[in-house]
Amino acid sequence: MVAVEPGSRRVTAGLLATPLLWLTLFFLIPVGFIAAYSIGAIHVLPTDPKVISFEDWHHFLIGDSIYLGLFWKSVRVSLVVSISVVLLAYPVGYFLALCVKKRKYVLLLVIIAPFLTSYLLRVLAWKVILGNRGVINSLLFDLHIRSPGDPVSWLIYSQFAVMLVLVYVWVPFVALPIFVGLDSLDRSLLEAAGDLGANRWRTFLRVTLPLSLPGAVAGFIFVFVPTIGEFVTPQLVGGTNGFLFGNAINDRFTKALDWQSGSVMAFFLLAVVALLMALFGRFAQVRNVRT
Amino acid sequence: MPDQIGRAFSQQMGRRDLLRYTGMGVGVSAALAACKKASDTASQQPGASHAPLEQEPGNLQVFDWSGYGNGDYYPGKERLFLWQQYADQTGDTPKFILFENDDAGFTKVASGTHYDIVHPCAYRFRDYVDLGAVQPWDTSLIPNFSDLNPELEKFGQLDGKQYFIVEDWGFIAPLYRADKVTPQEDSWSLLFDTRYSGKISWIDTLEMLVIAGFYKGVSDPWQMTDDELGQMKDFLISTKGLVKFFWNQSYELFQAFKRDDVWIGYAWPDSYAYAKGAGLDVEYMNPKEGRITWSCGLGLFSDSENYYHGHAYVDSWSSAKAAGFLVGSYYYGHANTGGIDLTGIDPDIVKALSLDDLSILSPPNSNPESYIPERQKYADAWDEVKAS
Repeated sequence: MVAVEPGSRRVTAGLLATPLLWLTLFFLIPVGFIAAYSIGAIHVLPTDPKVISFEDWHHFLIGDSIYLGLFWKSVRVSLVVSISVVLLAYPVGYFLALCVKKRKYVLLLVIIAPFLTSYLLRVLAWKVILGNRGVINSLLFDLHIRSPGDPVSWLIYSQFAVMLVLVYVWVPFVALPIFVGLDSLDRSLLEAAGDLGANRWRTFLRVTLPLSLPGAVAGFIFVFVPTIGEFVTPQLVGGTNGFLFGNAINDRFTKALDWQSGSVMAFFLLAVVALLMALFGRFAQVRNVRT
Repeated sequence: MPDQIGRAFSQQMGRRDLLRYTGMGVGVSAALAACKKASDTASQQPGASHAPLEQEPGNLQVFDWSGYGNGDYYPGKERLFLWQQYADQTGDTPKFILFENDDAGFTKVASGTHYDIVHPCAYRFRDYVDLGAVQPWDTSLIPNFSDLNPELEKFGQLDGKQYFIVEDWGFIAPLYRADKVTPQEDSWSLLFDTRYSGKISWIDTLEMLVIAGFYKGVSDPWQMTDDELGQMKDFLISTKGLVKFFWNQSYELFQAFKRDDVWIGYAWPDSYAYAKGAGLDVEYMNPKEGRITWSCGLGLFSDSENYYHGHAYVDSWSSAKAAGFLVGSYYYGHANTGGIDLTGIDPDIVKALSLDDLSILSPPNSNPESYIPERQKYADAWDEVKAS
């Protein structure tokens, strides 16, 4: 057993102090406010009820609230997006880490180049592509696959549009952790697998994939957590069908003047996401140990 | 004693400023003189608490709609026509903080965020007054006030005081592509027409419940009973599938028209203006249930430290110059109805806005946007429509 020097403890405490203070000030306390607001312990607006009550929680969880259904719709959309993103980003990360010999970092920069432009601009650009007179429909018109009077209208202002745009936005972001995981892979393990008679596919399944899985799970979490509360993309390209739980929370706070029910929904979202993250984190860790 | 010295100093500065401003034109000088005179008068009145214009901090903060001075829609022109007079008069450049719609604007103010000037619409005036967020204007400090239509200004009077200076007004009516849509009748029913499923856009505000109320013949759509509200909510939920998207900015609606994404929309006159300008064959309907007329006005925050700057700003907005710009560029009406030369305006605009017949602003020719006492219930119902 190694004794810990008192000086070392002080250094550790000093290093931890800033992030802990940051987290406390800008995460724990605001979350506490949201929790308190959700039961009426805090009131800011003139329309807020001035009594502590769990009525909004009751209405949301076991009443006839339609928002719980909207939440599960958001979970479904977010799951589809997250899985799609990982499936699309994995080959990119794999190609860059294990196939490219020269200029892999230049290629990586090219892949993440869209991040250099505004998020809003990237989303709005899809309106030009997906609109009834957009790039895709114009191509279909030119190829006489569809007539100008009958464009593919579900491309824009739909749940499909929301998922497509979110996948596009997040693929480069997820390719990074997967690339990092694969790039740091001990190549001697791959050689050992080959020496022991495993073909490339078997090597991938038994060595490469398990070792890169923590990166893929991390990427999945990176996408799932923000997209489950997403409201900007649905507002821009989602139309009436693309309305998600994040939009409902936003509306409760910014338009409906009902911060209490908005806080209930926001806190519920946070709790579920925290729970899911704990589960995913455990899964990732287990895979890591098994390798 | 320090107060007296300060006041004497400020009066000296005021005279110097007056000399400087004299060269900026007769109209500007007159306005400044009015402010200065009132400032002096106010300082002489017992209990007067407003520092003169010269002692105010400036940097006027205007909480407003996009395109009303910040340059979003007409860079350069918005400044020139809406607040150049203010800038010349005070030497100040206002800062614009934008809100998406009346609900979002009021929520921000109700949560404690205050600026100097706010620009809500008439059906929200009572909320601001009840909140204590705004103070009455001193109309004697607004030289252009006498040119404003007194009937419109009545909307800004609450509890016997002029809390808002009504400036802009316009309509809410169905807009449609005449080359693609054949309405069965001139009615709000076009927004719920199953023949055009997927080609319709509604606004993203609780006013859709009011529209449904007018369409369904509810006696007072602004004050519906719980039963009526529930029926309108169910009706909108049942017809929501016809709607492509809910718009938040009128320019967004115009762009969707231009991209051929929608053919029918709940619209303000500016969407009609943009669509006409883009060469689209559009009609701005006069539905049998009546258009809705809206009017919006400028309010002065109760804790504003820019009392005289605020009055100078609202005077600039009340000018005939501002009126001509609003009418010619946005197809909106302006309370300075006497200051607009109709002969110089596109006859289509005159027809669309009924500028030659202001009786359009009153029932039964149209339905003025009204205060909704049970707004929270409306908001909850509308959110359910969207989330369903």
